[in-house]
Amino acid sequence: MTITQTAPLVADRDVERKVRLPWYKRYINLIGPLVMIIALSVTMAIAQPRFFELANLMIILQDAAIFMVLGMAMTIVITGKGIDLSIGAVAALSAVIMALLIKDFGLGLYSAMAAAVAVGFVCGVTNGLVITQLRVPDLLATLAMDQVYRGIALVLAAGTVLARFPEPLPFLGRGRIMDVFPTAAVVGMIALGIGYVILNYTWLGRYAIAIGGNREAAVLTGININRQKIFHYALMGVCAALAGILLTGRLNAIQATTAQGFALHTIAAVVVGGTLLFGGRGTMFGTLVGVLLLSMVTNALVMLRFQFFWQLIASGVIIIASIGFYSYLQQDGSGDSRSDE
Amino acid sequence: MDESKQPVLQMTGISKSFGGLRALIDVSMDLFPNEILAIAGENGAGKSTLIKVLTGIYRADKGEIRVHGKKLNISTRRDSINAGIAAVYQNLGLVDTLTAPANVFLGLEPVKRILGIPFIDNSTMRSRAVAVLRDRVGIELPDIDAPTRNFSGGQRQAVAIARAVIGADLKVLVMDEPLAALGPEETRNTFNLIRAVRQRGTAIILISHNLDHVFQLADRVLVMRGGKHAGVAEVARSSKRDVLGMIVGSDVDVDAMA
Ligand SMILES: Nc1ncnc2c1ncn2[C@@H]1O[C@H](COP(=O)(O)OP(=O)(O)O)[C@@H](O)[C@H]1O
Ligand SMILES: [Mg+2]
Repeated sequence: MTITQTAPLVADRDVERKVRLPWYKRYINLIGPLVMIIALSVTMAIAQPRFFELANLMIILQDAAIFMVLGMAMTIVITGKGIDLSIGAVAALSAVIMALLIKDFGLGLYSAMAAAVAVGFVCGVTNGLVITQLRVPDLLATLAMDQVYRGIALVLAAGTVLARFPEPLPFLGRGRIMDVFPTAAVVGMIALGIGYVILNYTWLGRYAIAIGGNREAAVLTGININRQKIFHYALMGVCAALAGILLTGRLNAIQATTAQGFALHTIAAVVVGGTLLFGGRGTMFGTLVGVLLLSMVTNALVMLRFQFFWQLIASGVIIIASIGFYSYLQQDGSGDSRSDE
Repeated sequence: MDESKQPVLQMTGISKSFGGLRALIDVSMDLFPNEILAIAGENGAGKSTLIKVLTGIYRADKGEIRVHGKKLNISTRRDSINAGIAAVYQNLGLVDTLTAPANVFLGLEPVKRILGIPFIDNSTMRSRAVAVLRDRVGIELPDIDAPTRNFSGGQRQAVAIARAVIGADLKVLVMDEPLAALGPEETRNTFNLIRAVRQRGTAIILISHNLDHVFQLADRVLVMRGGKHAGVAEVARSSKRDVLGMIVGSDVDVDAMA
């Protein structure tokens, strides 16, 4: 303990508690997902070495890309003690509107993409307003709004599949840079990089941590909690729209019923990565690891010819195991790392 | 204390209700330069609400606040800091997942603009926080980058105090129950800290319901009861029994309690 008293003020020799964390404890939150990735890799090395072929690894990245974009914003929402269950419907609604504008109204691709982002933004702000002004709890508000947005998408698309879009939309969604690296994964990683900056270097991220970590302290500081929460959901809406655009490009088609289950998958990836489910700490790097882990598991199960329901069971077990692991670390008090690292 | 001096701080006729609950009813107080004024009263008497009005967390329904005779309009924490009034709140108000510098500057983060976008300047914040902790609070934390939940009670309190004293021209420091959760050694250190802050010319409002602490530290004690001003006593000329009588009200037999 290296407290030096330069004035006869506060000091504490009462509590000889070691405060400098050993280096590995700073990263302990990542140990869980990394251990799972290693375990999975060992299993696959034995069971199906083709898992490690470059082509398959790129498929994993391709699958993960959309969830990187969603996971970035969800990390901030959850850090601020929120949750958004409506993102699948927002992605579908934005994409359907973009597709209709292109197909039925002859709008240019870029204008239609901008419109999709605007739709996502409006959906996100609406979520934020319902939560902060009508005081509906985040979980219920976004669950209900999920139905609303899905319903609007269904009305607009009227059961049709809208397909075949001009470049560069398919290139964005399923193209490969130099014929190898998925374009969408580049978009996803840029999104996570921006998320890292938001979380660590902006008021938005700092106040999200404060609101999630100690709401009363945030109020005492004069942080306008409602306004910050609306920002979080607006960012989430914009990212959901981007995910909708990437999805449309990937399938080169869209219908109102796509992107179901996106919310749970994204929340799972974020929490598996070490962001606290009940707010106060988030990590973009952890979200990247969580997204990759879930994509690897899905891919491995497909390769091993497990049926779809096994994938559901596996992701459920991973989520419960991770949350249990982090709860254990919380009690232990050793799981503290920087808000992000 | 010199009665002829002009008060640093005057609060006059402050009232505040939460819905139907009248938390403060026409409360007035004066604070003189270099004074330690204790505010005592039972739980729910309105002590915390009074200092939250003073520091811009709540807006009073009625009443006025003057600093050096000048009327102030305090509606945010920044207003109160600019007026030289800072507070260490009950339960410290730290975000324990953030580092000490992030807590010290929470809500007042220095920024660097790149392309017009404000980015939090974490390194400036860190070195300024280290300086404030070392020079004004007198502590060096072993790991400045650790989240504050890793710190002990005394260290966390030091961070909360650093957060209160970062304002340039500190005239009034308010501490809400600063001794409630501390061990004996930490309590003694905090006593020293409070006296040292006073020596540097800052007047102090100390909220406490521990009369032993009040009588050791304060010059005067303002007693609140049921949201009202219930009396002021000069510590040197009163007994704990008198003050306890004011705290619980005249209809209670203080001798029987003691
Ligand atoms: N934000 C609030 N909303 C509603 N009631 C409050 C709020 N803050 C304080 N009160 C009430 O006001 C009264 C005074 O509280 P407080 O100032 O915290 O008392 P003390 O600090 O003296 O224990 C209590 O009855 C308390 O329940
Ligand atoms: Mg109180």
